[in-house]
Amino acid sequence: MHEEALLRDVLRKAEEVARSERGHRVTRIRLWVGARSHLQGPELAARWADAVTGTALSGAPIEVELSADRDDPNAESVMLRSLDVEE
Amino acid sequence: MTERTIAVDYLARVEGEGALKVRIQDNRVEDVQLKIFEPPRFFEAFLRGRSYLEAPDITARICGICPVAYQMSSTHAMERALRMKVEGPVRDLRRLLYCGEWIESHPLHIYLLHAPDFLGYEDAIQMAKDYPDAVKTGLALKKIGNALMTLLGGREIHPINVRVGGFYRAPTVHELQEFRPQLETALQLAADTVRFAAGLDFPDIEEDYEFVSLRHPKEYPFNEGELVSNKGLKVPQERWDDVFEEVHMPYANALQSVRKGTGTSYHVGPLARYANNRDHLTGRADDLARSVGLENVVRNPYKSIIVRAVETVYAVEEALRIIDRYHRPESSWVEPPPVTETVTGGAVTEAPRGILYHRYTVAPGGLIADAKIVAPTSQNQKRIEDDLRHLVERSLSLDEAELTDACERAIRNYDPCISCATHFLKLDLERN
Repeated sequence: MHEEALLRDVLRKAEEVARSERGHRVTRIRLWVGARSHLQGPELAARWADAVTGTALSGAPIEVELSADRDDPNAESVMLRSLDVEE
Repeated sequence: MTERTIAVDYLARVEGEGALKVRIQDNRVEDVQLKIFEPPRFFEAFLRGRSYLEAPDITARICGICPVAYQMSSTHAMERALRMKVEGPVRDLRRLLYCGEWIESHPLHIYLLHAPDFLGYEDAIQMAKDYPDAVKTGLALKKIGNALMTLLGGREIHPINVRVGGFYRAPTVHELQEFRPQLETALQLAADTVRFAAGLDFPDIEEDYEFVSLRHPKEYPFNEGELVSNKGLKVPQERWDDVFEEVHMPYANALQSVRKGTGTSYHVGPLARYANNRDHLTGRADDLARSVGLENVVRNPYKSIIVRAVETVYAVEEALRIIDRYHRPESSWVEPPPVTETVTGGAVTEAPRGILYHRYTVAPGGLIADAKIVAPTSQNQKRIEDDLRHLVERSLSLDEAELTDACERAIRNYDPCISCATHFLKLDLERN
């Protein structure tokens, strides 16, 4: 139920990083999803497409890594792993 | 052209479930819009086509804090549709289960969400450094409430023992008597909580609310009673749709419930229950309310923290009363009749945050044809906007950060479903 709020926070952080890379286009975003987060990859990817529309990250595909490690200390969380930018 | 990867490893947080847009023109508040972002969850839609017997378990998933409210409203609605009557110890067990929910939910809000606002802390973790005993009291009460829900419901979150007509299994007298010492501890902790809450500093503010709640002729309400208000409303629960309606505001995902005809806001929750049922509080709850000088009608929304504490005392006392008169029923549920024609039934119960309405239409054979659920927070949403409008009007000199903080506090008075996040509000202030 918190997908949208989590994605907005990811988007805010990603935009912040993108701004610090002045002029370089973001080409890919990688998201890590914990095994106990109760979130599903396809759902997140679909919501992401809506969330980035009209932002500087519009068009940048998202790669979602679904962790299976239920003992990971971040298993309940979602993490913005990395961004690819054009040089 | 090459690509470079920037490692971030940032853990996303649930913040900003709500936003408040305020438009100020010439030092006058022109518009206030409270936006709830949480997406629609379509429970009413996916209940269609499911067996009416599944409604208590499906709707319980709507909330992890108040699943009992959803189970109670759904079972009572189905029983009204099927003209069933549940009485005696099974009726008592339902009240007892609700006591468990109030005992776990109210202290959660009092100590872990609301008190930090009054004492000037970011959250309960920060508050615990200086007020360890207060936080421990809150956690101990919540644990006892959870344990009571587990005893009756099989588990504390989304209990599994509730069914249309009663329970799958009724506890033994011995099982309930064994729980008594925990409730005696809870009674002491809840009394301490009333004194703690009453000792906080409150802004000197009163609002002219229409308080809407259930009212039962003999008891403080959980599952039964008429819909009443301090402004003259008095109708049977079945007439819900005649007196309230849901409206969709283009700026928010959550529906707002308003008084039909006038479109005005109303207030549900502890302040409303207390105002409409003060005379049903007896014993320690009554004594404590008097001893801390609590008025019979509390119009200061910040003082809802005291009323929650008084209601916690009531819930513990009521749980003890029920346990002491309990005898195990021969059958733990009333068997529903076969559904041979299309039937409709609605019911209202008192969730910790206020009245919760369910209405179902069930087709012959028992599949749900239509469902309507009106949660307390959607009923309070318009009233919260009204409170915020008055707050902003009083606070035009505050800077944006101070105003955001003040608005979050005002919203938290209602214990809405969005307040779990520490900073849940994004303020969009437009000054012209």
